[in-house]
Amino acid sequence: MRGVETGADRFSPPRSRGTAAPPGVDLAALLALVAKGDQAAFEAVYDRVAAPVFGTVRSVVRDAGLSEEVTQEVFVEVWRAASRFDAGKGSPMAWVATIAHRRAVDRVRSEQRSAERDRRAASSVIAYDDVAEAVEDNLDRQRVRRCLGTLTDLQREAVTLAYYAGYTYREVARLLGVPAGTVNTRMRDGLIRLRDCLGAGR
Amino acid sequence: MRGHPEPHTLAGAYAMDALDGRDRARFERHLARCQECAREVSGLHEATARLAVAAAAQPPPTLKELLRAETARTRQLPPVIDGSPAASARRPGRTGPAGSRRTVIRWPAWVPRLALALAGIAVLAGIAVWAVTDTARLSGPLPHGGGIAAVLTAPDVTMIHAQVRTGGTATVVMSHRERSLVFAAAGLRALPASQCYELWLVGPGLDRPAGLLPMPSHGMTGPVIASGLRSGDKLGLTVEPARGTRHPTTRMLLVLAL
Repeated sequence: MRGVETGADRFSPPRSRGTAAPPGVDLAALLALVAKGDQAAFEAVYDRVAAPVFGTVRSVVRDAGLSEEVTQEVFVEVWRAASRFDAGKGSPMAWVATIAHRRAVDRVRSEQRSAERDRRAASSVIAYDDVAEAVEDNLDRQRVRRCLGTLTDLQREAVTLAYYAGYTYREVARLLGVPAGTVNTRMRDGLIRLRDCLGAGR
Repeated sequence: MRGHPEPHTLAGAYAMDALDGRDRARFERHLARCQECAREVSGLHEATARLAVAAAAQPPPTLKELLRAETARTRQLPPVIDGSPAASARRPGRTGPAGSRRTVIRWPAWVPRLALALAGIAVLAGIAVWAVTDTARLSGPLPHGGGIAAVLTAPDVTMIHAQVRTGGTATVVMSHRERSLVFAAAGLRALPASQCYELWLVGPGLDRPAGLLPMPSHGMTGPVIASGLRSGDKLGLTVEPARGTRHPTTRMLLVLAL
């Protein structure tokens, strides 16, 4: 089992409102220290979010070496931009995950090599299977998997192809043979349903 | 409008980075005016964060060591202060007098700006992907990379596009707060080896030289950074002898109000 050695709790995003203190030191408080140049706090942040960041990046980028490179860029960005994190606008995990996912997607798109794209197209479905298979010992995965199961097939395919494989909604539409407008509606509906099922709303 | 969906319906795709450059830019313009959309996107980001957590996988232990060195030499961004001159200097996009197109790049303060600005440059000026990738490695050793990063990530960053009189498109990304601009161009007319393009800051006083453009590569020129921007300056471009001159000696091929 890759990626679960540190236990599920450590990666849990704070519950929605953020009023109850999460176990251990609050990730938001750590980020505030990082903004002041605190290296130890940065390492504590790294320990808590490195696995979700690396896992997300690898799921989009696929190549192991490139995934490490992008993950490194993500954390340099977290270090640089820690002062821009605003707890009023979202959870720290969402802030970091947003940076990570966007960085991964932008890197993949900037490569744009057709051979690479074709290879990823062939393996795009694996991303969801990876998640689906890796449920043991990880409550977060179980919850996400269960909630993905409550989506319609089209919603789930649209969400997983976009998030885990890094496709644009137009590419997803082409892959699924569905009009682009339908795909972006399903992405939104699907994410809203997922958010509500996970109790991740704010 | 076929192919241009109602921005509001794109919140899900946006939250998953499933919009390509142009769609993303359009949605972000919409987002800047639509508080409800911003709230929706941040709620959806809580859901995508769970997707990230579910995909968790341990990175190799060496990464932490590398980062220790990397952060030690990486300067951090200052916090954004609401109501600061930089914040109030943001203006809505407008069309310049010389047929130029101006975009104020605006997105939620906590979204990393660099990638967006780079993507914007790449898409709109047509700068080759290699240039973007190279510039994006800002943490590595890069000639004037730090300066470019400072401009691209400034809170008051503005992007201007304009046609060069003798052919080609110029893109200027500028920050008054940083008193600097980044210039890049695509498709400039090729010059003989004895000549080069020179940038000028055209102010109320003398025109100040603002740098020579490097030789184009694959039709793309730059990016180069010009500093020492003063209020009221315009940006000019001329063709000069290869080593540059102190004052423009030929007709301006481009004059941009900054």
